[in-house]
Amino acid sequence: MTTLDLSRVHAEASAPHRLALTVRELARRSPDETAIVAAAGGHDRRRIDYASLAAMVDRFEEAVTAARPVGVVVRARNVESLVAIAAACGATGVPVALLADDARDLAGELREWAVVDDSFAIPSSGQSRPSGYEGPPHVVVATSGTSGPPKLVQRTWDAVLAAARLAEQWHGLGWLLVYDATRWAGIQVWAQSLLTGGRLVVPALRDPDTVARAIVDEQAAILPATPTLLRRLLTSADRSLLSQAKLGRITLGGEAADGPLLEQAKAAFPGARISHVYATTELGEVFRVTDGRPGFPAAWLGREMPGGIRLSTRRDGELLVQLSRDSTDVATGDLVELRGDRYEFSGRRSDVIVVGGAKVPPRRVEDLLRSVSGITEARVYGQPSAITGELVAAEIVLVDPLPAGATPESIRAAALAACRESLEPHGVPRILDIVSRIKTTSAGKTSRRPVATTTP
Amino acid sequence: MTASVPDAIASAIRTVLRDTGRSAREVESSMLLAADLGLDSLDLAQTIVLLERSLGVDPFRAPGGSRPAIRTVGDLISVYTEAVASTATKS
Repeated sequence: MTTLDLSRVHAEASAPHRLALTVRELARRSPDETAIVAAAGGHDRRRIDYASLAAMVDRFEEAVTAARPVGVVVRARNVESLVAIAAACGATGVPVALLADDARDLAGELREWAVVDDSFAIPSSGQSRPSGYEGPPHVVVATSGTSGPPKLVQRTWDAVLAAARLAEQWHGLGWLLVYDATRWAGIQVWAQSLLTGGRLVVPALRDPDTVARAIVDEQAAILPATPTLLRRLLTSADRSLLSQAKLGRITLGGEAADGPLLEQAKAAFPGARISHVYATTELGEVFRVTDGRPGFPAAWLGREMPGGIRLSTRRDGELLVQLSRDSTDVATGDLVELRGDRYEFSGRRSDVIVVGGAKVPPRRVEDLLRSVSGITEARVYGQPSAITGELVAAEIVLVDPLPAGATPESIRAAALAACRESLEPHGVPRILDIVSRIKTTSAGKTSRRPVATTTP
Repeated sequence: MTASVPDAIASAIRTVLRDTGRSAREVESSMLLAADLGLDSLDLAQTIVLLERSLGVDPFRAPGGSRPAIRTVGDLISVYTEAVASTATKS
């Protein structure tokens, strides 16, 4: 662990230069410290120290300075290449696009940019920047596509690095990266780790056992994850392995965390502080809930919060965020419901399933399905219908082994019976499939899209 | 897809009845969907999704076509038989 005082570098470097300068400073002072453990928990584990990472940044900086591309689209497979390319682009003022696999089609919008892979070669066919070009360096990412198709958004380096926690208590920690490194949430994790001289632990695969092995073997201290990823880890990973984890902090984001999940996480990781970050690709981090309960305190509504943020709701329950006194409300697309002294998230406005004109928030149905004995995960989505507009459809994952005396069919029947008992008829899933795994987006969230229909 | 149209329709209707907590019963082509089998619009919508899975067609979402009147099991059989035949001709 490094105890370097990085504050001088952070204070002196402008945001675009900050990553490259921090990595170089760390390479100078503690060259052998681990910067990244790639393929952790797998056979091809690689350890990259700060000296090697800084050398990669230098190498790409030279290449990009010579070629002067209009922008760089990163297509590197290795996380260390991606990080080095992004840091070098920032330092040289070249815009950089980090696109996840499902957003690769959008690269057409950046057709003049150079596409760069792990070789760091900049193709000569790409257009060069006119000399004297002084466009602001920025980062292009794709939105997660949870509800609709992903779209490209442009962010300044200031915005990308704004949420990083730079105080000394955050220095030299092991950060687990279970998010896609090209997503907003993933970028936040690797940038946070590198800016604070941390150890970025990237599991070889996202399957629960590999992630658990990576946490234990690499002594990861901080796990940022979506509730969907955490739920999968808690329900499917080897228990004896999980019990050896020394997590100090779990930061949930991207989706709402429900009460049962928070309770399970507390039981499995008694030493971890669990917080829930509310952020959007458009607004960045808005607030953080640290009391281990779902949703946020009702008293926060209408009151000025730290940073000058104000929360309010539309009549239909959509959460509105006012970032400062002079700015207008931003509609978040997230629906909240007052339950006791809390506002709890009931889902995305665009995820609401409309069955014959009646609205069904999918999260309510998912929570109910997960409460049925024998079910560990659930996904609810709208199945298009010519008769009713949409139908509620669901996928469930069963526990393994099944509860004594239960069969998949009996659990499915019990789930439908529980829904009939608690929900209006239009809210009961009409399609209920047992699957081995819930479909997630590359952002690690539960997908709301229908299952693709196969035609013979 | 090997299921015959009448068999697929009978099976889909029995699944709908069972999934909604009603007892499955014999399905005959002369039966009225609403009066004899007790199927409402949600039940019919579910039946159509199940049939799209088993037969690979959804005649109710066909572009440009007007929705045929469906009152009996036999009406469903005719609509799907035609849709399946039309898909087979195209492919």
